[in-house]
Amino acid sequence: MISGVTTLFNWTLKMDSKSIYPHIVRAGFAGAMLFAISMSFTDVFGTGSMGLRFFELVCTLNVLIITVSGISYFVTAVTEEKDAGTYALLRLAGMNSLSITLGKSTSRLVSSLMLLVIQMPFTFLSITLGGVLWNQIVAAYLALAAWMILVANLALFCSVRCATSGRAAGLAATTIGVFVFLPRISTAFLGAIPPGVLSTGTIAFLGSIPAVCSKISVFDRLAEILGLTSGFTMLGIDFSTGLTTISTASIKGEVSIVAGQFWSSLLTALVLFVISTVTLDFWSAPADTAGPSENKSVRRWAVGRCWNLSIAWKEFLFFTGGRTFAIAKFLAGGLVFAGFRMFQEMDGYSNGLALRGDYSWWAFLTFMMTLTAEVLLYSSGCLFYEVRQQTQSTLATVPISSVRILVEKFAGCAIALIPAIVWIFITLILSDGTIVRNCSATMVSSYLIMLGFASHLAALLSLYTRWAALPLTILLATPAFFCMAAPILGLTAVTSVFARSHNIEVTLLLSSIINVFWTWMFVLLPLQIWIRDRWIALSQQ
Amino acid sequence: MSTITRDTVPAISVTNLSHAFKGHQALSQVTFCVMPQTLHGFVGPNGAGKTTTLKAICTLLKPNWGEVQVFGHSVRNDSVAVRRRIGFMPDHFSMYRQMTVFEYLDFFAAAYGLPVRQRDTVIHDVLTLTDMEGRRDDLISGLSRGMQQRVSLARVLVHDPDLLLLDEPASGLDPRARIELMEILRELRRMGKTVFISSHILSELAELCDSVTIIDRGQIKFSGPMDILLESPDERPLYNLKLATISETAMQRIKELPGVETVSEPEFATGRDYNIQLAPATSANEFLRQLLTLDLSITSFSQQRRHLNQAFMDLTTRGVRT
Repeated sequence: MISGVTTLFNWTLKMDSKSIYPHIVRAGFAGAMLFAISMSFTDVFGTGSMGLRFFELVCTLNVLIITVSGISYFVTAVTEEKDAGTYALLRLAGMNSLSITLGKSTSRLVSSLMLLVIQMPFTFLSITLGGVLWNQIVAAYLALAAWMILVANLALFCSVRCATSGRAAGLAATTIGVFVFLPRISTAFLGAIPPGVLSTGTIAFLGSIPAVCSKISVFDRLAEILGLTSGFTMLGIDFSTGLTTISTASIKGEVSIVAGQFWSSLLTALVLFVISTVTLDFWSAPADTAGPSENKSVRRWAVGRCWNLSIAWKEFLFFTGGRTFAIAKFLAGGLVFAGFRMFQEMDGYSNGLALRGDYSWWAFLTFMMTLTAEVLLYSSGCLFYEVRQQTQSTLATVPISSVRILVEKFAGCAIALIPAIVWIFITLILSDGTIVRNCSATMVSSYLIMLGFASHLAALLSLYTRWAALPLTILLATPAFFCMAAPILGLTAVTSVFARSHNIEVTLLLSSIINVFWTWMFVLLPLQIWIRDRWIALSQQ
Repeated sequence: MSTITRDTVPAISVTNLSHAFKGHQALSQVTFCVMPQTLHGFVGPNGAGKTTTLKAICTLLKPNWGEVQVFGHSVRNDSVAVRRRIGFMPDHFSMYRQMTVFEYLDFFAAAYGLPVRQRDTVIHDVLTLTDMEGRRDDLISGLSRGMQQRVSLARVLVHDPDLLLLDEPASGLDPRARIELMEILRELRRMGKTVFISSHILSELAELCDSVTIIDRGQIKFSGPMDILLESPDERPLYNLKLATISETAMQRIKELPGVETVSEPEFATGRDYNIQLAPATSANEFLRQLLTLDLSITSFSQQRRHLNQAFMDLTTRGVRT
């Protein structure tokens, strides 16, 4: 067994070191840290806690990358063998369940932990910059490592449980999402529910959820380590469970290096690993797919006849989940909306169907985050899954140009976004104006530019890397956005001046059009050409 | 002024085709031609340049040098017209496994621009031809390899192409599936299709193909009718005689006939087979007339032909190309 594990382990590490992309990821991380230093420098110039700001940014970036890696990189540990049909070969080679789970997951984990290790010398710079002590840095990295081990083993469990990488990614994303938001939801629910409605046992159970989650929450632990009284925020959202204990000692930087979060994360990870190993055989048995598909009439309704835009049809039906999944997403959106509406009602605000204040803002943010996640998942997967199935050369021989193939793929994915977009508009229409007040024109255009850029980047990277496109996109998109924002804004300003000098009134609409045009011209178009060329090159292989 | 008819235009015309990948010369001055409505074999060792040539023909690869035409259309300048007239089946299983057989064929029929009503008829026809009509609602992932190969073949037929380019269509198939596939290919030739088939299974190609091209190390070693390739390179033909019964004196009696140079027993002889070399001046008719006077119970007498295996070994170089 040992030889099997070491062979798999060595092979994966060798592949990792030979491939250029992991090194690009590491270099990207170094670039991101440089970016974090410059951000903290501009943020707190002249104050005494520049090191703290820098280290907080680094931690945020790490949590984000680790979480996204769980959904995209770790989650394919076993499913990539299932997808490629090589799982049976591993068993034939005499590898037992433990060898497979250990060999396949440990190498990825070690490779990712190395990413944390290489950062440490740089982050000690924050001590010099002020505001952080060395024990805070070590404690934070141990917390991050524990979070990574937990996420990796959760992803391993999803990888064992699911038949394909896509489903495993979906399960992992849902589980992480539930873990992150459940404490807040259960607290809000308990606060809003009138006394006497729920039994004592149910109240006790719901009340214990935040405490349980807090024990393994990396967000609470980081907030504690860094002495953040406002909680640990990422992308402007507070992800803490609400039970973070910030003592005077932690504000002064006097924190224990290893805390309960570390041990409870490791214990949970171990339990998940054992379950994955024990159930590997059961969940990985070849499915009996021979014979007709499910009920013919159901299938006929769900799939239907191929449209004239055949590739858009294929993407919508077989990549994004098709009609049934779109309806399910629409209904789920309705449930989310109804949930917010119910919380508002419990809070004593009855305003017909409309949402008001924070409720409308949070409902809007929820749907926007869903849309963003869908866009990134589709853009990182729609070309990759064609490459993975080796179908791009077959597709390349049909009399359709490469550009049209790519555009139709985009159209198929865009259809799948309709439920999320519909709910964004419903929330906007039924809002009391809070959303419009909170959103400035700059915020909206920045979001759209960022989304366009990130989706293009994810699509491009998916044609180079195996499963790391999504984390790599997040790693590269944020600093790249700031690099390109200045020239785009500059060009927009120059165009506005030019327009005014020719007596053309620069309205908000015209300004937005100019902005979008320059973004497309200098950022998206080069990426589109690159994607097309890479797609053609892969079709020829 | 001469008129070029459809049949006079070669199905495939490859002229001085050369291509290099990162300094590695994959093809060098490749020139051959495939006539319409024929079954043409394309043979070569691993790494000889078969797949590169096929990719150039099916518009997937833009060659560095040379010209490739399909029914008179240049693959470089008129790739859309070429794609409409070809059906390419790659050597690997590149299928959308989550679709049913019908959905898969419907998708490709739509991609080729067939209207919905016509698609139904076409899909029914190609499934009947490939004997897959009963599995139209099965998921592709649940089909055996042989059946998936049939679906692949059905896929390349949905737009009724004139030229089929098949890269190793029989690889990985069991003997039964292989024989059935060969039958389908014969049927397609009868239907007037041109079939260009790259394969390693030489015995089947010898039976199936009208013409053959042998490629080795990126260069064409032979291209022409199968009959010419299978003729013995030796000017004096070798004849094979088969008797119904074993006769101990037969060999000696044949040797004594006038015009006979040598008589030998072939490898793995059964005592009833003889290889006969005639003297240059002796004709086969004359020898046969004398042979009948010996009153032996003859079951067959034929000119021995080179097997494609032998021709292949003679023309290609030992070892893998580096």
